[in-house]
Amino acid sequence: MLWAGWHNLRERRLALEKAQQNHVVLVPDGQAGDAPGDAVAVAQDEPMKGKPAPGFTLVNLEGKKVSLSDYRGRPLIVNFWATWCAPCKLEMPWFEEFRQKYRGQGFEILGIAEDDAPKDEIEKTAKKINVTYPILLTDGKVAPAYGGVDQLPMSFYIDRKGVVVTQTIGLASKDEVEANIKKLVAASVAAPMTAGVALPVGAVR
Amino acid sequence: MRFLALGVLGASLAVPLVLRAQDAGFDPDVKPIPKSYVVYAAEAQTIAAGKTAVIELHFKVQDGFHVNSHTPKAEYLIPTRLTFEPTAGVKTAAPEYPAGTAYSFSFDPNEKLDVYSGAFTVKLPVVAAPGEHKLSGALHYQACDHAACYPPKTLPVEVLFAAK
Repeated sequence: MLWAGWHNLRERRLALEKAQQNHVVLVPDGQAGDAPGDAVAVAQDEPMKGKPAPGFTLVNLEGKKVSLSDYRGRPLIVNFWATWCAPCKLEMPWFEEFRQKYRGQGFEILGIAEDDAPKDEIEKTAKKINVTYPILLTDGKVAPAYGGVDQLPMSFYIDRKGVVVTQTIGLASKDEVEANIKKLVAASVAAPMTAGVALPVGAVR
Repeated sequence: MRFLALGVLGASLAVPLVLRAQDAGFDPDVKPIPKSYVVYAAEAQTIAAGKTAVIELHFKVQDGFHVNSHTPKAEYLIPTRLTFEPTAGVKTAAPEYPAGTAYSFSFDPNEKLDVYSGAFTVKLPVVAAPGEHKLSGALHYQACDHAACYPPKTLPVEVLFAAK
């Protein structure tokens, strides 16, 4: 009887230890050892900066195929967002505003919904925040191609040569967003595209 | 000198013992699950057999992060939700979630959210036959920090308890 009691206790202890395997300190990638709340510091990492923007072909909300290469020679933001991401939805109207403001310089935005939500839900959200730039539906491959989008919002500023010149992770201020767009557009104006010379967006040099 | 040597030896032995005591129940070979922002504290519990009893599950959201409560303020937000697989000898009722805390992002004070941050406890009403039981389940949640949000996650949960 005593032995059975001890055996049960031991079994429970072993089972408890197994259950405690989830009892660990968990931190976002790249934040190990950092003080809590240092997300802004992480947000300054730009692993894709200087690299050719990976090409993709996705479907937009109207069901049409849209490729990154369709925008060759234009300064562009590729912005990953989701319906459940509050910071994303805050900056999207800014993108819309700047898209109108810098349209003359060929500036465009592609919003990729990195989301499991149904298309209707994504469409409803885009309408609610008055976004008219192309919204594309993820294929599950585009985010890994861009280095793994494990935080949202995440934006890639791509110059007319198809190179990522700035990568932002998390919400930046509206002024910062415009400064990045100005830099992108100014570089494109300073070095205008010559027909037949520009590389397709996403091309590897 | 001998005492000093013994003292140093004693101290070197004592440190690992102290660390082991602090780490009781944690397996050093178990690697942290990456990209998770909530921790589950497994605790063995004992309840009365054959009648409704409440099991408490303790969670902690990592410092600097928050997750939506079970009843977030907007339809588009993903609620925190606990699910369990059916287990022989145990009947579970709907989990009872704590109320969330009002929260707004500093960049958008008008949008009111309802979140869990720090420690929170979910209560699970059960009726169990006498014996040892293990409930397997998962906590589904979606975390954000002050400037970014993270894709929805699932944290495996195992609840061990004895019904007597």
